Amino acid sequence: MVIPWAGYSLSEFINQCEPLGSAKYVQFLSLADAKQMPGIRQVSLNWPYSEGLRMDEAMHPLTLLTLGLYGDLLPNQDGAPVRIVVPWKYGFKSAKSIVTVRFVASQPPTAWNDSAPQEYGFYSNVNPDVDHPRWSQKSERRIGEPFYKQRRTTLKFNGYADQVARLYSGMDLRKNF
Amino acid sequence: MPNGKIVALKVLVWIACLYPVLSLVYRAVFTSLGPDPTHTITFATGLATIRLLVISLAITPLRRLSPRLSWLIRFRRLLGLFAFFYASLHLLTYLGLYSYFDVKLMSADILKRRYITAGVTAWLLLLPLALTSTRWSIRKLGKRWQKLHRLVYVAAILGVIHFWWLVKPGVRTPLSITMILGVLLLARPLTTWIGNRRRMAQPRVPSSV
Repeated sequence: MVIPWAGYSLSEFINQCEPLGSAKYVQFLSLADAKQMPGIRQVSLNWPYSEGLRMDEAMHPLTLLTLGLYGDLLPNQDGAPVRIVVPWKYGFKSAKSIVTVRFVASQPPTAWNDSAPQEYGFYSNVNPDVDHPRWSQKSERRIGEPFYKQRRTTLKFNGYADQVARLYSGMDLRKNF
Repeated sequence: MPNGKIVALKVLVWIACLYPVLSLVYRAVFTSLGPDPTHTITFATGLATIRLLVISLAITPLRRLSPRLSWLIRFRRLLGLFAFFYASLHLLTYLGLYSYFDVKLMSADILKRRYITAGVTAWLLLLPLALTSTRWSIRKLGKRWQKLHRLVYVAAILGVIHFWWLVKPGVRTPLSITMILGVLLLARPLTTWIGNRRRMAQPRVPSSV
């Protein structure tokens, strides 16, 4: 689906925090309240959900500190009250219901990478050229389109190549998937 | 059970078996198939397939439990063929609505995504069973028909494996149908064993007494 999120650039929030020069990464920790989220009691991921971005990715204007969608406040299941949206990465990088933001010197652990490091990398940029070990990433079904023409070719960086490709120039995106 | 009652029952069973596909058509035309119609259709047809397969596998154990239920055999082929019908709709939905008949996409999927490998294999196992479901085939194949149709156990097990492999880690939706299938698969050797014990316990009476 193509979602109209509402928020402002995470960079504004980061500037207000005035992180030290030694901060190389930003880590996001989500709410892990078993009373509101009973599914946490099941054995699946390590809770609280942790995600992270390199400092330049976090400071990019497209990284959105998000408070709403479709002109309304975020519902609980979409990450209320505040989440981030990183539109050029796979969805699990866009952490929801954030309660803690940390500025750290080394790459922080992230939930899916912890759970299956051979399947989920740290960067997780949308990349049709790098398959997931168990499925292809070359095409996608866009929900919301008429069902007879949903499938389309996936674009590198989800179509944001012009805006973000420079962040990864020189990087082997197959190794750093 | 008198023939008239069986015919009436068959009409009801036909209606019940057609309900899933008719429900989908109704929703497609009059209400809604949800935000992801392809998924809705895939899930409904898949569920119908495994449920009908499992119900058809309950017939023989029930007949073994009581000789008065032997008429149930007349429903087994009907249920099996409807299971194949829904399995074929399920496969067609995957081929057409999901993959848009893109051969490269589908071969990559079938080789790479093991739940699709399992699903396609299960359908391929059901195909010869559907093709040899006629009375002509039963006559022509004789003893081999029985052996061939044991493949239904493999297909049902593969279907359940397909279900487990496709749900996300932690999801337990396939659990109930797995347990029912497990009971039914165990029921066959169990009822055979019970039958043998009963036969051994009875004294052999010579006919001239």
